[in-house]
Amino acid sequence: MSIDITIAIIITMVGASTPLLLAALGELVVEKSGVLNLGIEGMMLTGAVVGFAVTYDTGNPWLGILAAAFAGMAVSMLFAVLTLSLSSNQVATGLALTIFGTGFSALFGQAYTGKPIALFKSVFPDSLTDDRFLRVFFDYSPLVYFSLFMVFVVWWFLQKTRAGLILRAVGENDHSAHSIGYSVAKVRYGAVAFGGAMAGIAGACFPLILTPQWVEGLTGGRGWIALALVVFAAWRPGRLLAGAYLFGLIATMELYAKAAGGAFRILPSELWASLPYLATIAVLVMISMRRTKSSSAPACLGKPFMPNN
Amino acid sequence: MQFRLEKRAEISRSMLYFTPVAAVLLTMIMGAIIFTILGFNGAVAVREIFLTPLTNSLKWQDLAVKSAPLIIIAVGLSIGFRANVWNIGAEGQYIAGGLAATGVALITHQMSGWWLLPLMGVAGILGGMAWVAVPAFLRVKLNVNEILTTLMLTYVAVQLLNFLVFGPWKSPTSFGQPQTVLFNNDQILPYIIPGTIVQAGAPIAIFIAIFAWVLMSKSIFGFQIRTVGTAPNAARYGGFSANQTIWFSLLIGGGLAGFAGMLEVAGPFNRMVPQFPTNYGFTAIIVAFLGRLHPVGVMVAGIVLAISFVGGEIAQTTIGLPNAAVGLFQALMLFLILAGDILVRYRIKRVGQKSEVSSS
Amino acid sequence: MPDNAPNRLELNGITKQFPGVLANDTVSFNIAPGEIHALLGENGAGKSTLVKMIYGIMKSDAGSMVWDGEPFEVSNPKEARAKGIGMVFQHFSLFEALTVLENIALGMDGSLSLKELETKVVEVMQAYGLTLQPDRMVSSLSVGERQRIEIVRALLLNPKLLIMDEPTSVLTPQEVKQLFTTLRQLASEGCSILYISHKLNEIKELCHNATILRGGKVVGECNPAEETSKSMAEMMIGGSLKEISKGETNIFGDVLLNVGSLSLAKSHDFGTALKDISFEVRQGEIFGVAGVAGNGQNELLAVLSGEALAKGEDDIILHGKSIGHFGPNHRRKVGLCCVPEERNGHAAVSDFSLSDNAILTARHRKNLVKTGMILNGPSVAYADEIIKKFGVMATGSRANAGSLSGGNLQKFIMGREILQVPEVLVVSQPTWGVDAGAAAFIHQALVDMAQAGSAIVVISQDLDELLALCETISVINEGTLSKAMEVKGISIDEVGLLMGGVHGANNVDQANDIDKEVSNAVQA
Repeated sequence: MSIDITIAIIITMVGASTPLLLAALGELVVEKSGVLNLGIEGMMLTGAVVGFAVTYDTGNPWLGILAAAFAGMAVSMLFAVLTLSLSSNQVATGLALTIFGTGFSALFGQAYTGKPIALFKSVFPDSLTDDRFLRVFFDYSPLVYFSLFMVFVVWWFLQKTRAGLILRAVGENDHSAHSIGYSVAKVRYGAVAFGGAMAGIAGACFPLILTPQWVEGLTGGRGWIALALVVFAAWRPGRLLAGAYLFGLIATMELYAKAAGGAFRILPSELWASLPYLATIAVLVMISMRRTKSSSAPACLGKPFMPNN
Repeated sequence: MQFRLEKRAEISRSMLYFTPVAAVLLTMIMGAIIFTILGFNGAVAVREIFLTPLTNSLKWQDLAVKSAPLIIIAVGLSIGFRANVWNIGAEGQYIAGGLAATGVALITHQMSGWWLLPLMGVAGILGGMAWVAVPAFLRVKLNVNEILTTLMLTYVAVQLLNFLVFGPWKSPTSFGQPQTVLFNNDQILPYIIPGTIVQAGAPIAIFIAIFAWVLMSKSIFGFQIRTVGTAPNAARYGGFSANQTIWFSLLIGGGLAGFAGMLEVAGPFNRMVPQFPTNYGFTAIIVAFLGRLHPVGVMVAGIVLAISFVGGEIAQTTIGLPNAAVGLFQALMLFLILAGDILVRYRIKRVGQKSEVSSS
Repeated sequence: MPDNAPNRLELNGITKQFPGVLANDTVSFNIAPGEIHALLGENGAGKSTLVKMIYGIMKSDAGSMVWDGEPFEVSNPKEARAKGIGMVFQHFSLFEALTVLENIALGMDGSLSLKELETKVVEVMQAYGLTLQPDRMVSSLSVGERQRIEIVRALLLNPKLLIMDEPTSVLTPQEVKQLFTTLRQLASEGCSILYISHKLNEIKELCHNATILRGGKVVGECNPAEETSKSMAEMMIGGSLKEISKGETNIFGDVLLNVGSLSLAKSHDFGTALKDISFEVRQGEIFGVAGVAGNGQNELLAVLSGEALAKGEDDIILHGKSIGHFGPNHRRKVGLCCVPEERNGHAAVSDFSLSDNAILTARHRKNLVKTGMILNGPSVAYADEIIKKFGVMATGSRANAGSLSGGNLQKFIMGREILQVPEVLVVSQPTWGVDAGAAAFIHQALVDMAQAGSAIVVISQDLDELLALCETISVINEGTLSKAMEVKGISIDEVGLLMGGVHGANNVDQANDIDKEVSNAVQA
């Protein structure tokens, strides 16, 4: 494989990985606080359509990203109120959020179908982004650098700050955290809001850096893959990065398989399209086989908490 | 004045029945408001979606057609949800069942006889079961979360469907259309009410729901499902195997979804086409919850959701409401039913201001 | 203790209402600086509710508090800590997957860095002779060490009042002594201690004053040193104590349960592996398994009930029949019934009716199911029979298990198993969190059952309970079971050492020899 193709594959891979990474980082924080939000797909779709609409209407992708973050956060609050204040079943409510996001984005996006926007490209000078070799470092959307920065931020927050310690404590033992005097609900509301904002931005990645248009259901189950990535990463941000890039690579293979002829053509394109989903199952199986002893899942994951005061 | 939630000693029966009704009513009200804000005539939209299908007797047959697969799938899902087994990939199992039935239909296309439909039915059930057997096996043997595996396999099922109808199964006489040949007369469900489009699926759905009701409420199997779902430790202590329960509940859910797939492909579709996945598998999740995971409730809820589908089509033609609006209504309904759950387990108590001790 | 100083804490008419229960009814008492004040009462008397209000976890409905002469109201534990109140919980408020130091940091409100905190922690530990490794994961610590984390966490705040909620229920006798030393040192430095317990000997030994709570009300105040355990117990229970009536004969029949070289790998990270456990129980015998919580009791019950399977089928023999490979149903059918420690969600399903809970374990021996269908009539009849014969206070067999009080639910569960008349009954913590009346009833039912010809195994952390109930006991520690010892002429010191993990075979043998000599001497 020539160096040019390798570099092209890397660049495509990084782009395809970015929404997965952002959404999974958000969900990681949510799950560390003891909440399982299955609504990533719905929040991503909401972020995608709002991000697209605002970018299209204002011409400013930064505003689009900001709006996507707020939109994701807003719908995540639906989930938060139901599960945290009304202690509804987290699995069912997460599903409801996905159904809601799917319906909302389809409805809201109808007016924008078929309209083009410009891709949100690298802000570095052409001399860097066009360089045959250097572009592997510089030819990315700012969202890519943001996602990498957030890997560090999430790691630092969870491991090095007091707030992160409290968040982990709430996810580990909600009753103890409550009896020491921390508000379990407040911490979890905060985590869910962060997860919503990240999923919203992740959704905005699709029209802004991957395909510059609105297509109904354009996330294609990536939200669910992000969920699997969190498990794969054993709730560690660093490993999340590796996992997201692995999946980006698989998705890139699909694209190249469709484009390229030759050896790729032997297998039907539907098989390539199934690959990310089959790979997710394979990864889940691998983790389960490997995780013989220490399960690193937060102990209170998915359990409702209701203090009796 | 403050309000406080207070846990009930026992769940409230009246709230159990009241909250789904309230959820539907509230969905109408909130839907009217939301659609008015979005620039539609909200009141008319709600009337068209929720009332016209009921008042216009011509639409009743549509309700029967649409509610049958929803009820069949949701009955299966509700058994799993009761056991705390989260099969959310019924859509994939529905497709797999439809494909298996289609496969049998294509092989037996030159044959005739009453046995063709039962054979396709069995194939549909086995297809759905096979599709869910992978998640079941992984969950039981390796403790792999079934939520993700069932869902991932749904995407794979869609690809398999595309592969088959664009490829090996494409009819030579379809002028390039990606679809199979039309099934022969013995491979198509009979119409049970002359002059309508109501096929055998509707009475079968009712029969399945009633059978499930008896099974869940009177048999030790139903007891096992409920125990494993509410108190897994107590179930183990009571001698109920969790793994067996997972297998059973997933196979039932997958089998029924596959069966619904067969009824659809041998019913309204008459052949396999790429448009076969109609989100019945996902909507059935809403049906299961709205029906309180009770087979009889599921029957009612299946009709309610069918109303929203049929009504959505009406509203599309009469007031130009986008089809996606229906999805929003359905999601809203699910949110409200979940929010209402708290009233079943808690009561809202008003607490007066407590006399403050002034700090000096 | 200067006499003119204001009281550290005064409670005036504190009242707290829960649905259906008046948990605290106009409770009033005072604690002086440097005083160790006992709050004595049965389970359910309202002790925990009261201290939760002092610590700001709950709000009282009426009443007021005075702190060092000033009106006092706290709305959350942070404010309480700022005032100088520390609390050590009965069920520790610790986080298994975090380190000791992180756990301590969570209990501190200041903004110390972990480094600075570590220095302070070491200082405090030296001052009070406590040892802990700051970087260890809590999940790897013993119960005693975990309690030390809570104590250190409380001490770092320089508390003026330390609340200890049932601190010794999980400690060995030796650990209790060490704890008392620490508490006395604290009191001598002027810290008040509110000591909650139902263990009368400890209160007599440690406390200056005692307030006795019953049914949410203060029913007495006393100086424990001047009272007898019996007089305090009677105030606590509100009546005279009933002794267990046992027959005189101690002649046992055949061996009904024979456990030999039973081992079990740990099922999860925080579990305990069982190592080479052997014992036998004869007809008419009550066999006790003593030990501090978390030493393999739950695992032992699971492997006996069939919830976990033994490695070899001969590891468990029921009246000559190998049953190690049988599941729970099969074991019940052949005559082995069990009652696990946890009532809600294990021994019973709280969302199910009592008749459904009867079906849970009695469907085979009582024929409540036929060709896969539940027989409603017989199920209700059996639940009614249990309710009647065991005096369960419930609205009927349709009542949810969750609506019963702890004691009544435990009576129902015990009744459900006892009325199946199994050859062998294994029960864990039969009277945990149960009021004295129900506890006495359950004890008597067990004794009667043994005398009617069953063999019974009682697993309990309450040594007093075992000594009163059993003919033979042995001690479980880190998954190993000690030799069986006859209760007559047993040495509490030795049991304490065994509970604390001193299981050098020589020590035990020596102790056994001494015991034998003693009992021989007595007999002679």
